[in-house]
Amino acid sequence: MESVPVTQPAPDEKPQRDVRWRIWALAPILLLVAAVSIFAATGSSLVDLVGTNPPPADELDIRRVEFKSGEIRVKVTNPQREDLTIASVAVDDAIVNFDVDGSRTLGRLGSSTVVIPFFWVEDDPYIVGITSSSGIETAVEIPAAVETEGVTGLGVLGYAIIGFLVGIVPVALGMAWLPSLRQLSGRWLAAFMALTAGLLVFLALDALDEALELQAGLPNAIGGVGLVLVGVATSYLTLSWIGTRFSARENQGRHSELNGVALAMLVAIGIGLHNLAEGLAIGSSFALGELALGSFLIVGFMVHNITEGLGIAVPIAEGKARPGLGRLAALVLVAGVPTILGAWIGGFITSEVLGTLFFAIAVGAALQVVVEVGKYVTRRAPGGLSSGHVVGGFLAGILIMYLTGLLIG
Amino acid sequence: MPNFPLTRRQALALSAPLLAALPAFKYAVGEAAAQELTPADAGLDPHDHTHAAHIGAEVPAPGGPNDLDDLLYPPAATPHEPGRLKEYDIIAVDKEIEIAPGVFFPAWTYNGTVPGPIIRATEDDLLRVNFTNGGSHPHTIHFHGIHPTNMDGVFEVVDVGESFTYEFPAKPWGCHLYHCHSTPLKKHIHKGLYGAFIIDPPEPRPPAQELVMVMNGFDTDADGGNNFYTVNGKSFYYAKYPIIVKRSEMVRVYLANLTEFDLINSFHLHADMFRFYRTGSTLDYEFTDTVMLCQGERGILEIEFEHTGIYMFHAHQSEFAELGWMGFFNVVE
Repeated sequence: MESVPVTQPAPDEKPQRDVRWRIWALAPILLLVAAVSIFAATGSSLVDLVGTNPPPADELDIRRVEFKSGEIRVKVTNPQREDLTIASVAVDDAIVNFDVDGSRTLGRLGSSTVVIPFFWVEDDPYIVGITSSSGIETAVEIPAAVETEGVTGLGVLGYAIIGFLVGIVPVALGMAWLPSLRQLSGRWLAAFMALTAGLLVFLALDALDEALELQAGLPNAIGGVGLVLVGVATSYLTLSWIGTRFSARENQGRHSELNGVALAMLVAIGIGLHNLAEGLAIGSSFALGELALGSFLIVGFMVHNITEGLGIAVPIAEGKARPGLGRLAALVLVAGVPTILGAWIGGFITSEVLGTLFFAIAVGAALQVVVEVGKYVTRRAPGGLSSGHVVGGFLAGILIMYLTGLLIG
Repeated sequence: MPNFPLTRRQALALSAPLLAALPAFKYAVGEAAAQELTPADAGLDPHDHTHAAHIGAEVPAPGGPNDLDDLLYPPAATPHEPGRLKEYDIIAVDKEIEIAPGVFFPAWTYNGTVPGPIIRATEDDLLRVNFTNGGSHPHTIHFHGIHPTNMDGVFEVVDVGESFTYEFPAKPWGCHLYHCHSTPLKKHIHKGLYGAFIIDPPEPRPPAQELVMVMNGFDTDADGGNNFYTVNGKSFYYAKYPIIVKRSEMVRVYLANLTEFDLINSFHLHADMFRFYRTGSTLDYEFTDTVMLCQGERGILEIEFEHTGIYMFHAHQSEFAELGWMGFFNVVE
């Protein structure tokens, strides 16, 4: 038989086609690169057809102002595409000498620190203005000048104690309601579960407000609600995934709602992420002289946060398992320790980008836990979601957070 | 003036050749003024960063030595010769100027500087100013003083690319000024269209080391308030390059205020006093160390320094002083 080439279905034809289609999938990207290159080469003439671009804002982004003995240090970032040059610096509308630690001319998102030799007066307000070469001044108001502490042992200890007081102590105290909760009937337990959901909704809304407010102050290149959405979605979906793992382990592979200690752990994680953001807010506000951290405020945070401990205790009381003291302590630490971490980050670094992200993460976490608690209540509560106890408990949770929140407003 | 070698009468008699020698004198003084003062010269600690120490190389002022000589030292006065033609060419141009170190202002200028060139004539000269608008907006030149109303720089708006010749007999003698009077007026003034205009009296003023100072401000962020204040256009310039004058000779300063937005500006001299001739059109004066001028007001200061040394001068609005309107005389033997 002559070896006439016959089209035979080769056994590896399918993989070949796969490779071809994978290469095809690159085509849109390559075409996009080509199109972008063409536009980049002729871009300005295209813009000329429809008008002219507005001039750049030439505003710097002042990221952090530190008061050290005999000097003020200002960290600035260039948020725009065009280069920015630091030309002149004024403190309270008086031109001052300065040095730049880093480059005077900043590319996109480049940072430098402006060092101003200055004998500032403690507790006085200051306006620090940085003028770029086009004469546009970016000013930042410091409500009260206080010496910015570097990372010292005492500072680390101080923020740790603050975090301990406003994070761990109230959660632990709230957990102490556990024996009493165990005596409650199913109806009342459902009410308290709903109360947990209510307070988490409050925390979520509170954190969302903070996140949106912080992102509004960020330069356009970094900020935007997109950053908030990234944080919310990431934490929500991550917690969902963790929750599924917990329930899969508890129910031997069957997907089901969480209950007992696993649900308590999820609540603790959600509250812990919120406390991370709260700690960061406390730490940075204090470091920037925006917050007087008096005993009244600390007591306020303690009262406010004691309900968080209650929220963790309720699912345990509902569950059949009786976890030991070690597991209860672990729950307290998961919920409370992030406050200390947050206070350190906020006190020593202070980044509004981090702040925005942390609060956004807190939103997603709180919402996810609300969903878990909701599923649980739907199945277990006598009378379901719309029973009087559940509705009352939910509203009570929000109301308690609102009222105790007045202490720290 | 005990150290002056001539009596007043002799000085007057010899005024013409003396005045002719003024450009040479100006040149000499200009060269001398080029020296940058170090804080140590002023008896100051160079590492002290407080404001009083803003002198010499430490000062955040733009430009190099002698950059402002043409705006500081007026052309020499000329003897009284009624009907003599004094001709100036002025062109309005848009130009980015450095008003503080590294800070650039998109100015509207007469002849490329803010303030514009010093115009000087003697009373009864026929002043002719050939004005060409090379800028991007309609401009005029409005002179203060006495002239026909069709030469007032208000109604004959000069469009872009067009020219107009202002011609009138210079009077009355005094310290005057000129500025653009196109609308919006605020914009055309704060962008930099103004300058000093000196008319000398028929009987010459006593010889002196003559200086011109035009007080102004720059609104670099267009918010209706000045960000920088200067004399002659560069913030802290005379703190970096103190004006060198001789203790033995009278110093005469032609001072004009063209600061926009702020209601007033002022001049304050440290450690000595001066005679202030408001508008400079009479021989009446007050003896003071601080004068206050609204926009458009001007006058002549005459100082005989009693000592050698560093004399500070600045606006007595502390804010203006700390935003660039501060300088020094370096009085030498």
